[in-house]
Amino acid sequence: MPGARPRTAPKPSWTLGLVRRLTPLAAVAAVFAIQAAAGAGPVLVFPLYLTVILLTALQLSRMESLATAVLSAIAILIPSLVGGGQPGDMAPGLLLAVVLMVSAVAITEVVRQVRETEAEARRKADDVVASEERMRSMLEAAMVGLALADADGRWTEVNDRLGMILGRSRDELMQLSLTDVTAEGDRSVLDGALALLRSGDIVRWEAELNQLRGDGTRVPVAIAIGTAAGHVSGGPLLLVQETDISARKRLDGMRDCLVSLRHVIVSGYAWEQAVPQLLGSLCAYLDWDVAQFWAADTERKALHVRHYWHREAAGYEAFRDQSRAKTIAMGVGLLGRVWQSGVVASLEDLSAANDYERADVAQAAGLKAVAVFPLVEGGVVVGVIELLGSHVRGVLDDEVTMLSTAGVEIGQFIRRSDVAQALRRSEADHRAIFERSPIGIVRISSDGELVEANPALLSMLEHDFETMRQNAWPDLLRAYDQAASRQRFAPLLAGITAGHSVQVRAATGGGKWLWLQLTATSIPDSSGRPEHLLVMVEDVTTVRETSDQLAEALESQRDANANLEKLDRTKTEFLSIVSHEFRTALTGIQGFSELIRDGGLEPDEVRAYGGYIFNDADRINRLIGDMLDLDRMESGRMSMRSGDVDINEVLSEAMARAGTASTVEFKSDFDPRLPIVVGDRDRLIQVVSNLVNNAIKYSPDGGTVTLSTRAEGGYALISVTDTGLGIPADEIGHVFERFRRVRSGAAQSIPGTGLGLTIVKQIVEMHGGKIWVESAVGHGSAFHFTVPLAAEDATPLQRRHA
Amino acid sequence: MPEPANQGGSGVFTVLVADDNDVAQRLCKRVLEKAGYAVLIAADGLEAVDVAFTQHPSMILMDVAMPGIDGLEAMRRIKAEMPTMPIVIASAHSMASDRERFLAAGADNVLSKPFRLADLVSIVAKLAQDQKVKDGQ
Repeated sequence: MPGARPRTAPKPSWTLGLVRRLTPLAAVAAVFAIQAAAGAGPVLVFPLYLTVILLTALQLSRMESLATAVLSAIAILIPSLVGGGQPGDMAPGLLLAVVLMVSAVAITEVVRQVRETEAEARRKADDVVASEERMRSMLEAAMVGLALADADGRWTEVNDRLGMILGRSRDELMQLSLTDVTAEGDRSVLDGALALLRSGDIVRWEAELNQLRGDGTRVPVAIAIGTAAGHVSGGPLLLVQETDISARKRLDGMRDCLVSLRHVIVSGYAWEQAVPQLLGSLCAYLDWDVAQFWAADTERKALHVRHYWHREAAGYEAFRDQSRAKTIAMGVGLLGRVWQSGVVASLEDLSAANDYERADVAQAAGLKAVAVFPLVEGGVVVGVIELLGSHVRGVLDDEVTMLSTAGVEIGQFIRRSDVAQALRRSEADHRAIFERSPIGIVRISSDGELVEANPALLSMLEHDFETMRQNAWPDLLRAYDQAASRQRFAPLLAGITAGHSVQVRAATGGGKWLWLQLTATSIPDSSGRPEHLLVMVEDVTTVRETSDQLAEALESQRDANANLEKLDRTKTEFLSIVSHEFRTALTGIQGFSELIRDGGLEPDEVRAYGGYIFNDADRINRLIGDMLDLDRMESGRMSMRSGDVDINEVLSEAMARAGTASTVEFKSDFDPRLPIVVGDRDRLIQVVSNLVNNAIKYSPDGGTVTLSTRAEGGYALISVTDTGLGIPADEIGHVFERFRRVRSGAAQSIPGTGLGLTIVKQIVEMHGGKIWVESAVGHGSAFHFTVPLAAEDATPLQRRHA
Repeated sequence: MPEPANQGGSGVFTVLVADDNDVAQRLCKRVLEKAGYAVLIAADGLEAVDVAFTQHPSMILMDVAMPGIDGLEAMRRIKAEMPTMPIVIASAHSMASDRERFLAAGADNVLSKPFRLADLVSIVAKLAQDQKVKDGQ
């Protein structure tokens, strides 16, 4: 009932309340006074009472209104009770009082209803306000950015947190739309979502976007947009919720960066191919713009840029070029320190840096921050990677850790790639050697099977691979083992380690025989057992032949040298002999001429001494003539007047010259059918005369000299045989040598220059013939010589002497 | 064959000329006899040794290049038996080295061919003088 609910109006003071409560009583009393004074009937005062009751109901509570109504009813009845007492007179008053009561009840009920409705409305309004306040405080307290926006994304309400996320004041934000603060690249996505929300196709949209902070930097946010209850003009109200996910993004970036780096590292790329990807990943995931790999040259103690990467944007060329031109010493500058210390270092703001030499050109390229981390392998810094960013930024501890980790992994990768590259290069080298070597190379398994043979070998042996494998190789293997056993080497398959060389004979596919030099080397597997063998096969046929020829040439050179030495000795000896001969002859000439000069001689003495002088002078003259002849013949300057010569006639002539005064008897045994020879007639006469004179000289006791001719085997064979002293066995081999005169025994006083037979031999040989002698002491000598016949069918003469 | 020289009391100085060249033999014989010496002749090395041993000449004028054994071998054999026998090598081998060679082989003097007659005479005369001095003592 009334008063149960507290009133929201201010409570009046109790005096005022009392006044107010007493006012209806006063009003009733006033009306009653009017009624009593005027004696007016109930009907007349009834409206007055009703008015009081109505006013009371409107102004006061229901109880007071009802109390006023009861008082009014009593007051209207009082005159009737006092005045007549008649039941008939009381009826209208009673009726009015009842009406009054009913009216009062009705009025108070209506008023109560009105009041309750009003209170309800007021209460509801209070609730809304309270709710709003709760919500606002909630918005402000929230860790997420919250906002309301209209259907086009214009902010209608934002919380401070959102302002913090976006780096703008609330007022600033209120001037902008959701689209305005969203990074350009993400705007189309956002606009699409807003359209869907407007149309009601979706009621909630969530995404991660980059938004633009007040300072122009980007901030990654997780955004959720839902349609809120209630509409504003043009579409639904949007509740926008945003969370700054930059920390998470950074962690994700670092994690993804490491994943990406590892992916590149394990993908089996060569270092050269991998580097751009590594540098690109570092920039992409860690939000850098330029990355450079500096290799450490430990020998020259300098860092050099080996690889360079930048985001697709212009303006970095000058920086790149300066970096490339630069050499950084250990310990010098930011990079040098990182190289030396192996610790990550960074410069948050290049404009404040003082040990970064390229700061100016970097800033000119719009680069503002730099971070450098070492690439470490086995505790050694093998290089550094330099990262540059286009905005001022520090490097947090977790990023330092991440970069250190990346540095170790990349460092190991460099080492592995170096090794792998070296292996690949080595493999390529070996392959090229194998394919293009002029030396034959075969690879054979440990059981002797031919695995591979290079082109050089196949062409050397003129086999295709299959023939080589099945036939030629097994033959070669056997030949190797035979040759090896001769040289006390192990057989090919018995664990060869160092290359033994053997030479074997082998036939080519074309049937040619070659000398091959085989050099075997075993290639061990990882456990050290021979896994396969390499055999180098060289064609040494030419070498062998050449070396044989060389040995021959050396031999003949040795002979030639010996001959030269002999010649030299002979020359000295010759000079000594010649001077001796001359001086001997001159002794007589000088001595006897001195005697004659001094006078006092008998005329016959003078005659005799003149004879000695003449003979010695003549001897000297002959000596000189013979020597000149011999010299001309030996030096090839002797000219021959070649013509047809009848040998029989030559012999007759020589015989005639030797003369009539001779003490010997001549016999001739000429072949009358002896063909003509080609030669120098005078020289041939000289030969025969010399031989005949010798025969006479060495037949001091007379005897027979026989001259014979015969045709034999294309040659004319001429013999001069005497029955004289003969030549001792130890001198017979020397009779054709210069100044070798048989002077032993009875022959010692036989004169001669000692050059005659040497000249004879020369003349015979100049005619293409030979001369030899048969002799026995006491039985005589037989000199034979040959001259080729002119006939074309001449064949070499068989030498006939022993 | 030459007669044995009368060396003993007569005091005639006898020279053995050993040379295979008859012109040289004649020259030496003529010159030395004219100078007052007796001359013996040998035509080769063996004969020279034989004459030296059998006829005891006062000295020997020895050629080198002779048939059979040469003058040096003959000198060696003679000096082995008669160490004081003066031997002069007279040779047409007349290079400087030859002279040394002959002296080293034991020659008392060397006469190069061809020679001036006065040289031959003075060499012999000197040896004859030496001999006279020795005999006088």
